[in-house]
Amino acid sequence: MWRFLAEAGAVFVKDLRTEFRTRVALNALGLFAVTTLAAVSYTIGPYRIAEADRPFLLSALLWIVIFFASMAGLDRSFVKEEDTQTAPLLRLSASPLVVWAGKLAFNLALLAVLMAILVPLYGMLMGFRPVSLWGFAGILAAGGYTLAVTTTMVAAIIARAMTRGALFSVLSLPLLLPLLIFVIQGTRAAAEGSPEGVMEALRAVISLGGIMTILSVVLFPAVWHE
Amino acid sequence: MSDLGGIMLVTLIIWAGLFLYVFRLDRKVRRLERGGS
Amino acid sequence: MSREGGFRAVWPWLLFAWLALVIWAAFLWAPAAANFKGQSSRIVFFHVPMAWVATVAFLGSCIASIRYLRRRNMEDDIRAEAANSLGLTFAVLATVTGSIFAKIMWGSYWNWDPRETSITFLLLIYAAYFALRAAIPDPERRATMAAVYSVLAFVTVPFLVFVVPRIYWSLHPDTFINTQGKIKMDSRMFQVFMASLAGFSVFAGWLYSIEVRLERIRRRRQQEELL
Repeated sequence: MWRFLAEAGAVFVKDLRTEFRTRVALNALGLFAVTTLAAVSYTIGPYRIAEADRPFLLSALLWIVIFFASMAGLDRSFVKEEDTQTAPLLRLSASPLVVWAGKLAFNLALLAVLMAILVPLYGMLMGFRPVSLWGFAGILAAGGYTLAVTTTMVAAIIARAMTRGALFSVLSLPLLLPLLIFVIQGTRAAAEGSPEGVMEALRAVISLGGIMTILSVVLFPAVWHE
Repeated sequence: MSDLGGIMLVTLIIWAGLFLYVFRLDRKVRRLERGGS
Repeated sequence: MSREGGFRAVWPWLLFAWLALVIWAAFLWAPAAANFKGQSSRIVFFHVPMAWVATVAFLGSCIASIRYLRRRNMEDDIRAEAANSLGLTFAVLATVTGSIFAKIMWGSYWNWDPRETSITFLLLIYAAYFALRAAIPDPERRATMAAVYSVLAFVTVPFLVFVVPRIYWSLHPDTFINTQGKIKMDSRMFQVFMASLAGFSVFAGWLYSIEVRLERIRRRRQQEELL
């Protein structure tokens, strides 16, 4: 167990290091998010939406920005290995699950950074203040995790295909649409301050994330060694 | 009532066309299977 | 050629007659359900069997995909692909018939009812499956990646079909075998419904077998060209 964590940690740190050197994924993710946010804020602004519609529409906009931004960068961790042709080496030196855990941790870190920048900015620019902050944080964490698990798996698949960039969003978005509905529902409930709504959405998100985690653990070795 | 009869007729014609297409495709595949091996 | 006779030659025509009878009965023999607008309830005889075939096909494709991942037999990949394309076709047909029903019952072809939402996602997912297949030239890699994606896709389907309509309020009529296990249907309607279900299932099985055999021939030819 400790050895597994240490090895996965090593994969994670290696990815983090190359990312700090090049900042490809972070730039893509961050710039996409900030640009979209600026566009949304400029065209819609905080007061263009009627008071009654605010919780729902603002939640939907926030998650759409997060989802599309993640399409811009979350495939980097695997695509990079194929581009620099370091994947065969990694295949020899680490077990598939170690690689998966390391890449998942990397995607989680990317999403955490993205959310840490984007969510407060969004709150300020759009005047979005959820009544239940804890519920909102829970939805962000659970939604972010499920998003990262799913995209990690899809990234591993598309890294071995042609026309990767387009394929990544084509394959990920349909799989993520149920998640998108759940997190929007949950965020809306948090914005309105309804704990039952938050719990219901949280249950759905966590079960989806759990199933995706189990499937990834089972299926990743097949994808990685193909 | 005649409306319903009309729709039924159209559906029947569609079904007949579809069936003939699939039937001929089935024949063709059978021929290919025999000829190909 | 003599072995070609008998039931093997006759059954397609039996199927033809059977479904023609179903079509006649669906429009002229069965009564229209009282709580539906006009004659719109008749579409159930076509809409539900199509949705049923699509569901079974997607399930079959998921099973074939899992078998492929276990045994690495290309035959399973052929089955998975054929089942998925059959499922996608019937899902499109179910969407079209559902949309016609929506126009008559609710006044517009499309209004993002949860059922319509979930079928859209379903179509997107399985269309993405074929986009993935098209993007991987190597047959074995294509088979593996497609199988993995097919399994991932299949586990999101229950969330679409069962959870999403629970969260949002839906106009979609109760599925016919509902939670109480009661069947709310007139007996004539029920007979036509079951006959249609059986007929469409056999027809879909036929299409599936043609698709599988055709794909086998296609792949064998590709290999012969390579040699």
